[in-house]
Amino acid sequence: MTTVFVCEDSLDGILTGVYEAWDSRLGHGNVKLQTEGMDTMELFCEYQTVRTDLEKAEKVLRTVKRRMGEKAREAVCYASACPDSGKADAIYRLIVLGLSLPDGRQAVNRLQDPAVLLVEKLRYKAWHEAERMLGFLRFEELAGGVLYARMNPPYAILPLIAPHFADRLLQENWIIQDTGRNQAAVHRAGGSWFLTDADLPDLRKIAGYAETEKEFQTLWRAFCKSIAIEERRNPRCQQTLLPLRFRPDMTEFQPDSGQPGAFWQDSRFDSLRKS
Amino acid sequence: MQHTRIPEQLPVMEKLKILSDAAKYDVACTSSGTARGNNGKGIGNCFDAGICHSFAADGRCISLLKILLTNECIFNCRYCLNRSSNDVPRATFTPDEICDLVIGFYRRNYIEGLFLSSGILNSPDYTMELLYQTLYKLRSQYHFGGYIHVKAIPGADPFLIEKTGFLADRMSVNLELPTAEGLRRLAPAKSREKILKPMRQVQNRMEENREELALYRSAPRFVPAGQSTQMIIGATPENDFQIMSVAESLYKKFDLKRVFYSAFVRVNDDSALPALPGGPPLLREHRLYQADWLLRFYGFEAGELLSEDRPNFNILFDPKCDWALRHLELFPVEINRASYQTLLRVPGIGVKSAQRIVKARRLGSLDFQDLKRMGVVLKRALYFITCRGRTLYPIKIEEDYITRNLLYVKEKLPPELRDDVTYRQLSLFDDGMPLSVEEQSVLLDVSAGSAAAFAGGGAI
Repeated sequence: MTTVFVCEDSLDGILTGVYEAWDSRLGHGNVKLQTEGMDTMELFCEYQTVRTDLEKAEKVLRTVKRRMGEKAREAVCYASACPDSGKADAIYRLIVLGLSLPDGRQAVNRLQDPAVLLVEKLRYKAWHEAERMLGFLRFEELAGGVLYARMNPPYAILPLIAPHFADRLLQENWIIQDTGRNQAAVHRAGGSWFLTDADLPDLRKIAGYAETEKEFQTLWRAFCKSIAIEERRNPRCQQTLLPLRFRPDMTEFQPDSGQPGAFWQDSRFDSLRKS
Repeated sequence: MQHTRIPEQLPVMEKLKILSDAAKYDVACTSSGTARGNNGKGIGNCFDAGICHSFAADGRCISLLKILLTNECIFNCRYCLNRSSNDVPRATFTPDEICDLVIGFYRRNYIEGLFLSSGILNSPDYTMELLYQTLYKLRSQYHFGGYIHVKAIPGADPFLIEKTGFLADRMSVNLELPTAEGLRRLAPAKSREKILKPMRQVQNRMEENREELALYRSAPRFVPAGQSTQMIIGATPENDFQIMSVAESLYKKFDLKRVFYSAFVRVNDDSALPALPGGPPLLREHRLYQADWLLRFYGFEAGELLSEDRPNFNILFDPKCDWALRHLELFPVEINRASYQTLLRVPGIGVKSAQRIVKARRLGSLDFQDLKRMGVVLKRALYFITCRGRTLYPIKIEEDYITRNLLYVKEKLPPELRDDVTYRQLSLFDDGMPLSVEEQSVLLDVSAGSAAAFAGGGAI
C-alpha cells in the first residue's frame, strides 16, 4: 500500500517531506509526496501529515548541495515555488535519483526521466517569473523615505527576489509585499532583510506618499510614452513580453491623475483587453 | 542655425520629453555583460544577463533611461531628426538633472541604469567633456553602481574617451550606415575613418585592460561590458550580404559585443532618402537579427548564408532554414551521435535544446518524444533528423517536398505575406488567373447554352 506524505506548500515543508519519506524506510516505490491543499484523495492509500521541521529541511538541502551540486539545489528551490500538484513528488524522485547515481551532479541532466524533466520545467518557470519580477516590480516612496512595492505573482518568488534588492538598494529602507500570500520582505538600510508572514495593510493609505513621489511617477510615464516609436507600434508584441497581469502594479500603466490600481478602468487599454 | 532658441530654463519634464523622444531611434537598450555587487557606499548593482524593466508600445524593451544630453547638433545628417536644419524644439540637460533623474528612477526600480547619447554641441570635445562630467558625478558623488551605456563621440579627444570609458559599462560608436559610400551621401560631415578610430581605440584599451586585470585584480575596469554599434537598414541601397559582411568583420576585427540593426524610419522629408510606403523594413531587420544570432552563437559565417549571387535573405524562411534547404546533402543527422556543432545547424534546434540533447544523451539514448519535451521544434526539425536511425515519419529528403511542408506550417510571417505567398490549391473558379480568349469564349458559350437549356426546360 502506498503511503502519501502530505507536506506544507513551501520549500522547507517539501524538504521535510523528503526527509520523512526517506526515513520511513517503506521503500521509494511505496511512498509518495504531496503538498497540502490537494483535495482529491486517492483510494487504498495511507495519508500521513508532515510537520515542517527546519532542521530536517536544512539537512536535506545541504545533502543536495553536497552530493548533487549547486544546480540541483537551485532547481529544488525554484521548483518548490511553483503552484504545481506534482512538484513535491518530482523533487523527491530527483533527490532519490541523484543520491543513487555515482555522480549526483548528472541527475539534473537526465531529462528523459519525467520527474527530472518536471523539476527542470518548474525551475525554469519560477526562474523566469522571478527574473521578470526583478524588472517589473515598482517601488513607491512613502512619507519618511521608505520604499514600498506590491506584487501578486502566481509563484512564491518573494524569497527568491529579495536578496537581489537587498544588494541593489543597500542603503534604503524597503518593503516588498506579496499581497496574494500575505507575506512581506522587509529591509533595513545598511542591514539585512527578513521575511514576515504578517498581514500587512496597504501602507500607501496609512503612511501616504513622499513629496516628490507623484512627480517622479509622472516623469516616468512621460518617458515610457515618448520612447516608443509610433511607426513601429506593436501592442501585441508588448503584451507578449509584458503580460497584462503585471500591469495593475506598474507605475507606467496607471493614468496620470488616477488612483492606484485604476488600470482596469483606463480606456486606453480597451483594445488590449479585447484581444 | 534657423531654429528659434528655447530658453535654457525649461522644466525637467519638458526636457525629458524632448530628449527621450530624440533618443528613441537608438536601438540598444541592453543592460547585460557586467556582474557587479553593490559598492557598499551607494546604490546599485549589475545583473549579468541584464534586466528588462518595461516594454514600450512598440514592443521594445525599456531597460535603461535612454536620453540625449542635448539635441542641439552642429551636423546636418540627412536621416536624423536632430539635424541642424530641422526646426524642432531643442533642449540640454545639465549633469545634475540627469543624476537626479537616474537616481530617482533607479530607486523606484524603473530602470537598470543610464543610456547617454548626445547631439554635437559646439564641438565633439565639448560634448564628450559634458558626457564625462555627468558620468563622473553619477559615479563619484552619487556612488551609483548601476549600468551605464555611453556613446563615444567620433572626433573627440582620445584622452576624454579613455577617461569616460573607465566610468561606463558599455561604450558604443554608431556606424550609422553600412558602407562608406552611404555615409558620404547621407552624412557628409562624418567619415568611415572618423567613426572607426574611437572604436579601435576602445578595443585596444579593453585589451590592455584585460592584461592589467590579470596582474592586479582590483585595477579599474575599462568598458567591462564591451562595445557595440548600430547601423541603419534601408536608408541606402546596400544588400543584406554587404550588411552581414560588415557585421561579421566588426565582430571579428573590432571584437564588438553586439551590432544592432535599425530599420530606417523616415523622419525627415528629404529627396536623398527613400520613400517607404510600407513603413520601416521590419521583416528585413528581423532576418538580419536572426542571421546575426547565427554568426554569434551558431558558428555560421556570412558567406555561408548569403553570396554575391543571392545577396538578400529569403522572406519566407529564416536564414538557418534557408541554409539547410540548400544543403540537404548534409541531412538527416542522427540526434544520438551528431556533434554539438552539427546539432546547432538543424532548423528547430536552438542553443538551449542542443545543450540539453548533448547532456541528456550521455545518460541514455533519445527519442522524438524526449526531443519534444526538451523544447525542440519538431515540426521544423523532423525533416532534418533521425533518432535511433529512424525519421519521425516516412519523409523524402528533397527540397521541394520539405519546402512545401515547411511553408504549410506557416512561420509567423507578417500579415501582408501570410495570405498571398503561401501555396494554395488550384481552383477552377480562381478569379486571380486571367483566362485566354478561347477559354473565355468556351465558358461563355457553355453558360449561355445551359441558360438557354434551363430556360427551355422551364418552358416545357
